[in-house]
Amino acid sequence: MASNKEVHASSIGEAFEMFFKNIKNYFADFGKALSKGDIAVKLSTVLMGAGYFARKKFIVGLLTMLMEAAFIFMCIFYAAPNLAKFGTLGDTVRSTQFDPLTMQNTVIEGDNSFLILLNSVIVLFLFVVFILLWIHNIKRAYELQQDYEKGVHINTFVEDVKSLFNGRFNVTLLALPTVGIVLMNIIPILILIAVAFTNYDQQHMPPSALFTWVGLANFKNIINLSSGSSAFGYAFFKVLGWTLVWAFFSTFTCFLGGIVMAKLITYRKVKFPKFWRTLFVVTIAVPQFVTLLLVRYFFGDTGIVNSFCASIGITDFLKSIGLVASHLSYIPFLTHPGWAKFMIIMINIWVGVPYQMLIATGVLLNIPESQIESAKLDGANTWQIFWHITMPYVLFVEGPTLITDFVRNINNFNVIYLLTQDTFVTTNQTLANANAKEVDLLVTWLFRLTNDYYNYKMASVIGIIVFVICAVFSLIAFSRFLANGREESYQ
Amino acid sequence: MENAIKRNDNFYLKEEKLRSKKKTELVSTVVINVLIAIFALIWIIPIVWLLVTAFSKYTGIDTMHFFPAQGWTLNNFKVVLFEPDSVCQYVAWFKNTFVIAIFSCLISTTFVLMVSYAFSCMRFKGRQTMMKFSIILNMFPGVLSMIAVYFVMKQLGLTNSHVGMVIVYSAGSGLGYLICKGFMDTIPTTIREAARLDGASEAQIFFKIILPLSKPIIVYTVISAFLAPWADFVFAKLMLNSGISSDWTVAIGLYNMLGKDLKSHYFSIFCAGGLLISIPISVLFLLMQKYYVEGVTGGASKG
Repeated sequence: MASNKEVHASSIGEAFEMFFKNIKNYFADFGKALSKGDIAVKLSTVLMGAGYFARKKFIVGLLTMLMEAAFIFMCIFYAAPNLAKFGTLGDTVRSTQFDPLTMQNTVIEGDNSFLILLNSVIVLFLFVVFILLWIHNIKRAYELQQDYEKGVHINTFVEDVKSLFNGRFNVTLLALPTVGIVLMNIIPILILIAVAFTNYDQQHMPPSALFTWVGLANFKNIINLSSGSSAFGYAFFKVLGWTLVWAFFSTFTCFLGGIVMAKLITYRKVKFPKFWRTLFVVTIAVPQFVTLLLVRYFFGDTGIVNSFCASIGITDFLKSIGLVASHLSYIPFLTHPGWAKFMIIMINIWVGVPYQMLIATGVLLNIPESQIESAKLDGANTWQIFWHITMPYVLFVEGPTLITDFVRNINNFNVIYLLTQDTFVTTNQTLANANAKEVDLLVTWLFRLTNDYYNYKMASVIGIIVFVICAVFSLIAFSRFLANGREESYQ
Repeated sequence: MENAIKRNDNFYLKEEKLRSKKKTELVSTVVINVLIAIFALIWIIPIVWLLVTAFSKYTGIDTMHFFPAQGWTLNNFKVVLFEPDSVCQYVAWFKNTFVIAIFSCLISTTFVLMVSYAFSCMRFKGRQTMMKFSIILNMFPGVLSMIAVYFVMKQLGLTNSHVGMVIVYSAGSGLGYLICKGFMDTIPTTIREAARLDGASEAQIFFKIILPLSKPIIVYTVISAFLAPWADFVFAKLMLNSGISSDWTVAIGLYNMLGKDLKSHYFSIFCAGGLLISIPISVLFLLMQKYYVEGVTGGASKG
């Protein structure tokens, strides 16, 4: 076994350095195994498992050989036909031909660009996995050779299996979850990335039509601000702006609201704190799609809030100060861009504050009592204690969660979709050309592009950009909050 | 003499201060309680609206009255529970969602516990790399890659099937190990070391020592995994797109009731359905919230 000692990186730069060092070591070990290995190790490069046979590990050797055979089989019957067309993503369009025997038109299936892409991605992924296994097989053969030369005991097959529940239990534990993650996360992400470089959209829909590689055209399209043929550049920067504004406000309003609410409820003068807390928690226990849809009709143009506001004169007042256009007889809570953005953030406070309150209550309870006591002895008042002791502590504990919340809000699909879908109609023609709306987040825009307009190429580009944004924020956050030495400061 | 008078003055001054302090104390108590009552009112209004509309005789959206003006009835619940029609198949949806939730909960919990133990209690080559990789992977939101997920599932013939839904909800769940790992990190290593000295294997430590000690976080993981399919809307809408309403989950079924042509007939039924599903979820959620807070705060400070 290699050394189990772990070195922690304290900055992104060091992390990268370590990463490259690890890669270097990985290949250095491989080279050493190849050059210093005996005939069995060298034979392993062609005939995988040879190294195992040489050390009398017949079952493992046989299994490895079978795996190699299966891989070769896969290459011939699955990989080759798909990879052959990977460069063009297919060239035969589906066509119909008149069949004189049956007197009917028969469909001749052409190439399906998407299937070629999908299968090729899977094949390429399998190639990478196979190469890693191949390298592992050679290294392992060399290790066995060394063990043999030193006279170290070599495990039998039964011992190998037993070690899967002891020393190598991690392999057993991680195998199935990894398969799941590959299937549900890695392969889809790879496909998404590939699609961003194609012209896969409504005009190029398999199986009736083909699509092909277009290089960086889609990326150019999305940062192209000149409003010529497409409005995507314009829409993209508008939607991106609102996404960031939304993520910032929704995160911080809920965070601060949660602390204030928690402070309020745990304040010693408040009667029945448990009752109030349960009341707030019940509001988040009702599923979001129920409450949000309900609230959407609550604030509808002809909804009950509007009736109420009209009857007590709020609507007229808002008209007189110019917040509501004079030709409207209602307050456009969720139908006017400005109002809708404001209301969405407000409604999100309604949704999010109880959650944050729950967390904040727990955090506040854990504040080291001694610090507050000593501050009191030094004559600090309530506000000073709040700003100089409570807040730093809360920020310390909740810092990472805050960033995850920010990232989650960038992708907060539910709130925006359930509040505005079907009710908000954009009047901005340029935005409408790109199938976007003022209140859209990048993710809701992406969802509409794929679900309603089949514009997969642009959706993929947006998906990649969102990922990059989220990754940057998370990496900055994690390196700041989880840097070494910071973890122990409150322990 | 002079000194005595001064002292006396001081005494009265103090008395005065105390009394005014008591007064402000009373005022602030009232103000703060009223404030919290107002907040509570704002937060509870939509829930009350849901409650009363569920009992309303008027089936559409009443735009003039908060409380049902045409009288109260239990009919909406009767429709939801006993009179399925082409739009409302509530019992079937409930059953579908329940089955999906049970299975995805089982798989998710198992995966999360397995990954957490491996990352928290074992030290092996590539552990750090794998953890970092999974954090980055986890940042890629499911919504973004769902189209590709959809095509992969379609390729496997698993769209419009509940097996497919279970896979969608649980296959990637191993990535959500952070909170659970944070909890396992707090279990003292000495316990494991002692067991190892006694000759216990890793598998035995996992099953006989760590799992029993992790009860709170297991409860949290189980409940949150169970609740996910009830709240999910996007994937269900994408995957179960055949239009056969009896195949749907509760979320899409209820959403469909508020379509343009349907909502004037089904709004109060939507409320009744929403209320019914909220009750079990609320109970579970209240159970879970304790562990949720523990998990988030505990996990966050451990990293």
